[in-house]
Amino acid sequence: MSACATTCPSCSCGCGLYLLTSNGQLTGVAPSESHPVSSGKLCARGWSAHEATLCGERLRWPLLRKNGKVEPVSWDEAYDQISKRLKELIEAGKSVGVLGSARATNEENYLAGKLARAGLHTNNVDFPYHSLCRPLFAGLEEVCGERIPTTSLDGIASSQAILLLEGNLAETHPRAASLVMRAVEKSAFLVTIGYRMTQMARLSSLHLATTPGNELEVIRGLLAAVLELRGLDRNWAAVHGEEYEALWRAVEKVERSNELRQAAEWMTRAERATFLLACNGGEGEQARKDAGAFATLAAVTGHLNRRGSGLLALVARSNVRGACDMGVTPERLPGYERLDDEQTRQRLEDLWNTKLPPDRGYSTEDLLQSVSGLIVLADDPPSVVPIGQRAMAAMEKVDLLVVLDAFVTPTVQKAHAVLPIASFAETEGTLTNMEGRIQRLRAAANSPGKAKAGWQVIGELCARFGAGHSYTSANDVLSEIGRAVPRYAGIAQRLSEDGWSTALLEDVEGAKFLIHAPGAAAVAESSCARWPYVLVRDGSFDWGRDPLVTCSPTLSRDYQSERKLFPNGFVEMCQRDADALSLSAGRRVRLRSVHGHAVVPIKVRRELKPGVLSVPYAFRDDLAGVLGRDSVTAVSVEPP
Amino acid sequence: MTYAIEKRAITEWLQKLLETGEVIAPVRGPCGDVLFSTVRSPEQVMWDFQNTLPPPKQFVLPQTDPLIKIKRNGERHEIETTYDDTRRFLFNVRSCDAQGIAFLTRMHEMEPADVSYLRRAYNLTIITLACNTPCSLGFCVCTGSGPFLNDNYDVQLTDLGEGFLVEVGSEKGESAISGVPNLFREATEDQVLQRERLETEAKNQFGEQTCHFASAMRRISTGRVQDALWEKMSEWCLECGGCNLVCPTCYCFSVKDLGSDGSWTRCRMWDSCQYAAFTLEASGHNPRADRKQRMKRRFFHKASAQYYQRDCAVGCVGCGRCIKVCLGATNMPAVVGAIRKGKWDG
Repeated sequence: MSACATTCPSCSCGCGLYLLTSNGQLTGVAPSESHPVSSGKLCARGWSAHEATLCGERLRWPLLRKNGKVEPVSWDEAYDQISKRLKELIEAGKSVGVLGSARATNEENYLAGKLARAGLHTNNVDFPYHSLCRPLFAGLEEVCGERIPTTSLDGIASSQAILLLEGNLAETHPRAASLVMRAVEKSAFLVTIGYRMTQMARLSSLHLATTPGNELEVIRGLLAAVLELRGLDRNWAAVHGEEYEALWRAVEKVERSNELRQAAEWMTRAERATFLLACNGGEGEQARKDAGAFATLAAVTGHLNRRGSGLLALVARSNVRGACDMGVTPERLPGYERLDDEQTRQRLEDLWNTKLPPDRGYSTEDLLQSVSGLIVLADDPPSVVPIGQRAMAAMEKVDLLVVLDAFVTPTVQKAHAVLPIASFAETEGTLTNMEGRIQRLRAAANSPGKAKAGWQVIGELCARFGAGHSYTSANDVLSEIGRAVPRYAGIAQRLSEDGWSTALLEDVEGAKFLIHAPGAAAVAESSCARWPYVLVRDGSFDWGRDPLVTCSPTLSRDYQSERKLFPNGFVEMCQRDADALSLSAGRRVRLRSVHGHAVVPIKVRRELKPGVLSVPYAFRDDLAGVLGRDSVTAVSVEPP
Repeated sequence: MTYAIEKRAITEWLQKLLETGEVIAPVRGPCGDVLFSTVRSPEQVMWDFQNTLPPPKQFVLPQTDPLIKIKRNGERHEIETTYDDTRRFLFNVRSCDAQGIAFLTRMHEMEPADVSYLRRAYNLTIITLACNTPCSLGFCVCTGSGPFLNDNYDVQLTDLGEGFLVEVGSEKGESAISGVPNLFREATEDQVLQRERLETEAKNQFGEQTCHFASAMRRISTGRVQDALWEKMSEWCLECGGCNLVCPTCYCFSVKDLGSDGSWTRCRMWDSCQYAAFTLEASGHNPRADRKQRMKRRFFHKASAQYYQRDCAVGCVGCGRCIKVCLGATNMPAVVGAIRKGKWDG
């Protein structure tokens, strides 16, 4: 038996684990006490991390669709056909694009970006999860600038106060939830904000309940309470005079309950505090404002640039930060630099030996609607983006869909060309977690059939489009990343040491922040006589359709069972509402909104308040007729 | 029979064992963690270590355990049972882990006996290293499974400073030292007395970490743990399953077929009774849908009189691994303590 030290590929906590193998075959997982993030602990997804690679339906040979049938072909034939057809599309003036992935490595993402910009000469490059986290990052950026600050995960455990804007931390980021529990055990104050009485909310010192879509009002209330408290401190008011005035004017009329005052006091008085912001994939404008106000709150309580304090954006997948850093976005270049940043453009043009395309490209959802040729790296856009069925319909219309993946996904099944790549357990590469900690993946087993490492395959595609460079290892790619992204310079060397050599991107301690006065919330959908309930699309990430879960027999059971029992989805409501409507669990109701109507069964959840109906992200498409493009909408409930 | 061996002679003994079979021992990996691994040379074996986080149970009950090979042959399927008959020496295993393996073996010997498990277990020689200093989180003294053993070892080594006392507890143990008889001398009375003294000293060194099973058992066995307490405790569980997976006495599994293209291996794979879907039925019904029901079930199995009578032991060897691995706060001593006091402090 041997043990290979690697990084958990699931969420953005980035725990370390050992993949165990026997005679070259994966057999299990062991935790590591010496790992800086996980310290001997793993969540269920970590403990079953080997299963997807071991048990999942794997892609073994390059496949091409010929006359409607999918046939295995040689790598050369696959590359030749793909490049020939892509070139034909480009020559015919059609647009093409590339989607990277928050579950792919930095090296794979970097090369995907390079393929788009230097090979296909387009900025049509994005990653599907970006459609959920883009507004959140934009909101943080308004306050913090381009270097979005973080604190370390272990800082959570030593915080004296924690403010958590909930999604469902215990489900999405169990390791972070675990650290919050450590802090609570040590008598830290935990304040949660959300419309659901989640596990973390039940453990909190204070839960600030909102109605869905109204989180901003609570944050503004907290800001008002903090400023009220700060105002008593003459020194503080003198130093921060102007900002304080502007901010005070923006929030002074917001009602401040005793609860808000209490929470504000805890967050302000704490020497060390952590602000945890869930990525709930709400509508752009609203999510941006929420994030901006949340960051402002962290700034005015003094915790944004203080050692031991900080803010963490709880993006779901393992390499969201890495994908952003690698510039796999239509508006940002590698290094998360703006598209028009001359210095960066020059650096990349020199490095890639080509002119960069000037105009902003399409973001995922528009890209899917607009391109004729599409390369998808290790992702399944319909399971990620807010309106999945629209993404699926768009992909079906693409003239050439090329998919690189280790696993069979719905996107793979639509592809015209499939290129099999190694899974996380079979490849070298790096991931960047939510703290900005860059960590290695190491190959514990060989990839099946003719599958190759992702960096090799995209590297070859780059070469076919004149953006070539011969890479002999993932580390070669990481070295080039060091030249393209100044913050990653020297990382390849820092990670070459044995053991858990992890590298944290530089700290932003002492950085300056722009305090924005958050405007009032647009009036959130609220119930009225005609539409007495509020229906919310639960934005917690749907792990049930991530191949790391779907391909794992242990992890996929719950999700599969739910799908079988509720093939057309369900909505959740509280017991009181179910009683008032004389409904028992499983009974169907008709939901009606301004957008349309749908008939769905109900599930009773004690976590919800009366008047709130919630549809899990997994079943959002089943209720698309009622939700429209909204994440929150007012509805009526009738018999079917 | 009790022998003694000089420290410098250990290498030669290990060399002999390496020639005889696969030697598994605690080894320090490149990341600093100590893991039980197959060793190639005697120098790799660690002598001064806190116990490994993953228990050595995987050498009798692997996380992925191939049981049957299935092959399609035309219209029919051919089935072949697979056994692992490798002779293995588990070297420098701690007392708690030896007791854990003994517990697992008793379970798998119960009718119908699990031949696949037993063939692996019967081919395993357990050479323990008694704990002169208890580990920081261990409470084996509360479960009667350490720091020294009186049974359930093949060979028990005790570090006497210059050499080791070598207690042989079985025929497998005799056979393990028989290849190199000139290395082992009969132990002197002084050496045996020194071992007794070390055991007493070790027992006196146990600190705060205790686990009072008896009073918890009374409450659990008679249903006197309030539902509200289970509910409260279950709020501090994050359903990672780690407590089961690192527990030397847990053996829950599910069965999965690996492979494709007409050839499969049916495997037993570790599972956790704390996972919601562990008891999920095909109809969609789940008798333990709530976390508190699953937690109640776990501790009923671990510490009820009903199971104590059947298993002759609580389902815990006091290794303290669940304290380290628990993502939440519901490790064995914490839950047992709460049940005893009727109150959760979290």
